[in-house]
Amino acid sequence: MAAASKIVKMEEAVAAIPDGSHLAFSGFAITRSPVAFAHELIRQGKKNLTLSQCIAAFETDLLVGAGLVKRLNYGGGSLDRPGPLHNVNRAIERKLFEVNEYSNLALAMRFMAGSIGIPYIPSQTILGSSILEKLLATKGDEIKTGKCPFTGDNVVMLKALTPDYAVVHVPRADKSGNAIIYGPRWDQEAAMASNHIIIIADEIIADELTPHLAQEVIIPAPRVDMVVNQPYGAHPTSVYGKYDYDRAHIEEYVAYAKTEDGMRDYLDKFVYSVKSFNEYLELIGGINRINELTADSLKKY
Amino acid sequence: MKNDYYTMRELMAVAGARELKDNQNVLVGLGLPQIASILAQMTHAPGLTMILEIGVIDPQPKEPSVGIADPRIWFKSNYFTNTTGIMGSFLHRGLVDVGFIGGLEIDMYGNLNSTMVNQPGGGFRHFTGSGGANDIASLAKNIFVIMSHERRKFKEKVSYNTSSGFLEGYDSRTDIGLKGGGPSRIITDKAILGFDEESKRMKLLSVHPGVRIEDVVENTGFELLMDRVEETEPPTESEIELLREVIDPGRIYIK
Repeated sequence: MAAASKIVKMEEAVAAIPDGSHLAFSGFAITRSPVAFAHELIRQGKKNLTLSQCIAAFETDLLVGAGLVKRLNYGGGSLDRPGPLHNVNRAIERKLFEVNEYSNLALAMRFMAGSIGIPYIPSQTILGSSILEKLLATKGDEIKTGKCPFTGDNVVMLKALTPDYAVVHVPRADKSGNAIIYGPRWDQEAAMASNHIIIIADEIIADELTPHLAQEVIIPAPRVDMVVNQPYGAHPTSVYGKYDYDRAHIEEYVAYAKTEDGMRDYLDKFVYSVKSFNEYLELIGGINRINELTADSLKKY
Repeated sequence: MKNDYYTMRELMAVAGARELKDNQNVLVGLGLPQIASILAQMTHAPGLTMILEIGVIDPQPKEPSVGIADPRIWFKSNYFTNTTGIMGSFLHRGLVDVGFIGGLEIDMYGNLNSTMVNQPGGGFRHFTGSGGANDIASLAKNIFVIMSHERRKFKEKVSYNTSSGFLEGYDSRTDIGLKGGGPSRIITDKAILGFDEESKRMKLLSVHPGVRIEDVVENTGFELLMDRVEETEPPTESEIELLREVIDPGRIYIK
């Protein structure tokens, strides 16, 4: 039963993503964002990406700010108290890309339908809202209203959403792709809806350990295409059980991201000036900063 | 306006707590809703369950957090799940008794905008959007809104309806098929408001101690209904002590 290793280098995983791909990332505001993967997408100059995310997060703002995104399907989002998603908001205000705004649940249900292979799912959220009105006007091929055939109730019919790739940052995975997530797992529907799954893991565990941890495995190996080992790969966002978010860095980012010029400076300083995420980790303070962020084993942050 | 033993935000937290009942499932956001829910748990509602949109049930946070994506607010939870595990199995299923939400603008029927605001010179500013707010407004049995009371935020009609209240009033909300009960309480830094049972228009219920009815009217961009307007019951000293000594000792949210 020795499973084949799916471990690849970050550069190889990113190189496998064609321009124009539809991606689903695991982040939620300032937690479990696949930041190392986003950096490499930017360095490789990928183009015309479509992103779908229930609650947009740090990696999405970064990619929008770097100009890689042509379409965003999302249910709203911010960087919590540290600040708004300046790049996303700016791109919407200036109509720099196509944006389709949902609610968290409406998009999660599209993913859920995708994850179990049904063509659409009925829902009773977003009825009567400007969200629904705008989607009906612009995305009539993905969302419709109608009546429940059994009760006659008004329903919103949400077409299944199946992104090309989910990119999921997790604390631990084995080399065949069994991926462990601690704490809440808001991204599970999006991951399971995607046609391919790329796992970015802080730590690779021995395959022999996995059966002992089966209840912690959220994404099973048969669904996973590639595994990348990148310790602290979600910095500056948190990974429950592994490390805290880096509040000072996120606040610094928000200050840079306030203007387009500032955002260019951020990308030059933290993404383009380095060749790898390990070099970036040196730039943000290296082992001393990482030690400060490493989670307490009881509190898990 | 000033008083010597509590702040307006403390009064808002206490007012929120008092509206919660024991054994309710409450979907909370960061800040005052969380503070109000913990205060209710520590006083009259020990059986209240706090639920977080991100996939967390019954946390017992001990340190202040910057949002629901901050693991500090997941501390000592009893259950972790995915998005549909909360927003589907609890909220869409009709098992959330109270949802707390906020917004940039609210209108006379309780419709909320947290998405975009038109600029005077043309164009618009874009903000957070819905997140789970629309879902909560659509599906929870009762909605509590916490907002600061300013004329530019209390508008006759919101420019974008992110989270549905009573839509155009009367039966328009139920006619369109929304299952949740709609907004029941608006808690501001000046007053507590509700809605007329028939027309579903916003109605002034009480003004906070030291606030005049005229202050509320001046800071509201539409005509408020009112009949018997009471004075909001001030916090007790023991509620204030709990807030300051136990729930928010750093005074992050209740300053």
